[in-house]
Amino acid sequence: MKRILPVLFAALLASLSSRCALALESAPVVSPRAKVTLVSSVDTAGPDAALELGLRFVLSPGWHIYWMNPGDAGQAPAIDLYAPDASVVSDIRWPAPKVHVDGPVTTFVHEGNVLLPFGIKLPATTTLPVNVAAKARWLVCKDICIPEEGVFRLVFPAGPAKPSSAAPQFDAARVAEPAPSPYRATVGADGTLSLRGDDVSRIASARFFPADWGMVEHGAAQPASAGDGAFRLALTTGPAFDAAQQLAGVLLIRDRDGAERAQWIATAGTPAARAAAVRRVADALPADVPGAMNPSPPTSGPAPPFLHAVLLALAGGVLLNLMPCVFPVLAIKALSLTKMGTHARAAVRMQSLAYGAGVTTTFMLLAMLLLALRAAGTQAGWGFQFQSPLFVAAMAVLLSAIGLNLSGVFDISGRVVHAGDALAARDGLSGSFFTGALAVVVATPCTAPFMGGAIAAALTAPAGQTLAIFAALGAGMALPYLLLGFFPALAQYLPRPGSWTLRLKQALAFPMYGAAVWLVWVLGKQTGADGVLWVLIAIVLLALAAWLFGVAQSGAARAGVWRLASVLALSPVFVAVGQIPDLPSQTAAQGEDGVQAFAPQRLAQLRAEGEPVFVNMTAAWCVTCLMNEKVALSRPAVRQAFEQQGIHYLKGDWTRADPAITEFLRAHGRDGVPLYVFFPPDGAPPVVLPQILTEGIVLERIGT
Amino acid sequence: MKHLLTGRGALTRGMLAIALGLAGACALAAPKVGEPAPAFTAQDSNGRTVTLAGLAGKTVVMEWTNDGCPYVAKWYRSGGMQALQRDATARGAVWLTVASSAPGEQGHVDGVTANREMRDSGAVPTHFLLDPKGDIGRAYAAQVTPHMYVIAPDGTLAYMGGIDSIASADPADIPKAEPFARLAIEAVLDGRKVAKPVTRPYGCSVKYAN
Repeated sequence: MKRILPVLFAALLASLSSRCALALESAPVVSPRAKVTLVSSVDTAGPDAALELGLRFVLSPGWHIYWMNPGDAGQAPAIDLYAPDASVVSDIRWPAPKVHVDGPVTTFVHEGNVLLPFGIKLPATTTLPVNVAAKARWLVCKDICIPEEGVFRLVFPAGPAKPSSAAPQFDAARVAEPAPSPYRATVGADGTLSLRGDDVSRIASARFFPADWGMVEHGAAQPASAGDGAFRLALTTGPAFDAAQQLAGVLLIRDRDGAERAQWIATAGTPAARAAAVRRVADALPADVPGAMNPSPPTSGPAPPFLHAVLLALAGGVLLNLMPCVFPVLAIKALSLTKMGTHARAAVRMQSLAYGAGVTTTFMLLAMLLLALRAAGTQAGWGFQFQSPLFVAAMAVLLSAIGLNLSGVFDISGRVVHAGDALAARDGLSGSFFTGALAVVVATPCTAPFMGGAIAAALTAPAGQTLAIFAALGAGMALPYLLLGFFPALAQYLPRPGSWTLRLKQALAFPMYGAAVWLVWVLGKQTGADGVLWVLIAIVLLALAAWLFGVAQSGAARAGVWRLASVLALSPVFVAVGQIPDLPSQTAAQGEDGVQAFAPQRLAQLRAEGEPVFVNMTAAWCVTCLMNEKVALSRPAVRQAFEQQGIHYLKGDWTRADPAITEFLRAHGRDGVPLYVFFPPDGAPPVVLPQILTEGIVLERIGT
Repeated sequence: MKHLLTGRGALTRGMLAIALGLAGACALAAPKVGEPAPAFTAQDSNGRTVTLAGLAGKTVVMEWTNDGCPYVAKWYRSGGMQALQRDATARGAVWLTVASSAPGEQGHVDGVTANREMRDSGAVPTHFLLDPKGDIGRAYAAQVTPHMYVIAPDGTLAYMGGIDSIASADPADIPKAEPFARLAIEAVLDGRKVAKPVTRPYGCSVKYAN
């Protein structure tokens, strides 16, 4: 069994790092629905420069944002710009939209990759380098709608203007932009739009998108006709139609030769008062702007000194052994313990050192990976690996494989051995090393009580200190086993192996299956039923492969054929896991009574109104969080106290990456869940609750 | 051609979407202000039958809802919708909250769920109408949640449109906006003419069955 671990572990790390490579774009705001960045066509600026900026959306399949006139529903993006005083802003040059029809609701949308370009002319008095920041809000919809927002910053050093890496996107946007129409457009009282001009006879068909609400019905048919040197579209007038008012919008034209053109047309008349999408609001971002890209300083006091942090990490590591997350791995450790009784002391010492090295190395690798992700601008936090549905699925499959091995379905040693001494016999040091590694990967998402502060402090410290703290954490976690190795007197109290070890081994398969069930449930929360289907298919195929392999090992005739069949059954396991969508299908519903989804704006608003608020940051994969809810937060006495005191209960779900929640965690000196913060009424300073809750603790802290 | 994808390719796909979409959209005949409001018969969340004819002589307010829509959440979490409901019904208006989300879509509720949601949010409509087939929604051309309608005691439609003038999901905008729906309800209750009888509705699309 131990030999399969290194391979699977390496595969897991590889899958994690390939996922990370996608995020190497500067300062994006990322959600499962959209990745949004602020880009510029040039890298440098001078005083008096005319900059071309753009909000760039990479939308997940099926999701869309809205055009300047969203149509019957939806909302166009809006941008608040922070740039030097006397800067002159020009509005978004909207690309031509697409029609999106939902039954009787017609909207005008953008899908896929969209650049919304706009301009800013800096004043001659600009001092360089110049900061330009934008706070943007956009609505992103599929079958449901989610309002998103982000804060973006760009710094322009002085220098001759040279095209940036985003310049080709601006060029492409300019080419595709609706051009001013060469035709003369008029609109009749009945809503008929007429185009006149030299080559109007070229037009085969056209569709008009009104720039303003209410002038024409968005979803109505637009029958075309030609004659008298004009091309006509019979528009259906809307509730706000007025022939004296200017009718403006985009016309998508298909010519008789098949060419397609997008044009901006406007009739004579009073232009509509149209609110700008881009507004310059101030010189610089206010210091307290909440937003994903705006790191705020920790508010929970100064970071603990270095030595203090190391000791805390050591203690936290020891405690990590008691956290529920570690439970599946306890089975592996328990088995290692049963082995120790039989080995020579030197061998026992080597095994425990190898285990300790595995734990410590993996902690440091995770820390380095996390730091690298941070450096690349990703909003990763402790336990981030569990936010990847692929990782969760792979762990479920791995734990099932370990369980099947423990159940005795197959043996990795490849030779027929007598079960009683199978495990005690020949486990290499690498086996112990990777057992340690697995323990860390599975155990980390539950930050133990002492670890929350230590990890956050560690990740903000210089790199050398960071690694020292994580090494201490690993040493703490491995400490009980190191003690056993170095004080053989302790080991002699361990029972001698016998036939009962086989039974223990088989019994320990069940915690593994239990852990796999938990991970499948987490996956269900992340990806919905489809992900669950694929991971269960993968597990069934794996069980088939394990059984075929076991048959080959049990001395069957033509063992080679059985082994080949096993390999054939194993390969589609990876295909099935690969089917799991790495982007969740939709936001998890907040189905609980009296619980509101966490949003920074909501919190700020409630605080401004002087309302008391309780914030619970949780994740489906965080067992500590779920236990706290069970034993404390969901208890009738607590819920009743919340109700009586009018406390608003905001819950943030970090099961998937959420920059707003990561930001909130970091603002409270934490880097993972759980986190509980109570904001008393009338703006009194917030109280951070411990990470292990009881009914009494909650009631006391909210001042019942 | 390939590098012009944003403009040209989108155009083709857009045209196709139009052709496919118009068939459905043509069936829509929006009700008109000043004309009789479309009649309907519906089940409410308690299994009672509600007809528009049975409400003759009363001011009727209709509100399209979907509890998962952030624009609806703006109005319920701020307490603005509940206040509007209390004020209108206290003056004798009948308030009908309508859910036209199809089964399986966001905002689809059965009677029990609707009653629980109302209890939790403190909502006080006269009836919560269940419209899973979207018949009432289509008859009124309800496009968004929250889409608001006011029917005068004589059965004619007096107002259709947005709940207020600022299209956003941010509750902080409520006090800054012109309260279109509130002004319309008060005007009809006072027997006055509604100053702005048709306004731009905003919000999430109604999740009709396709």
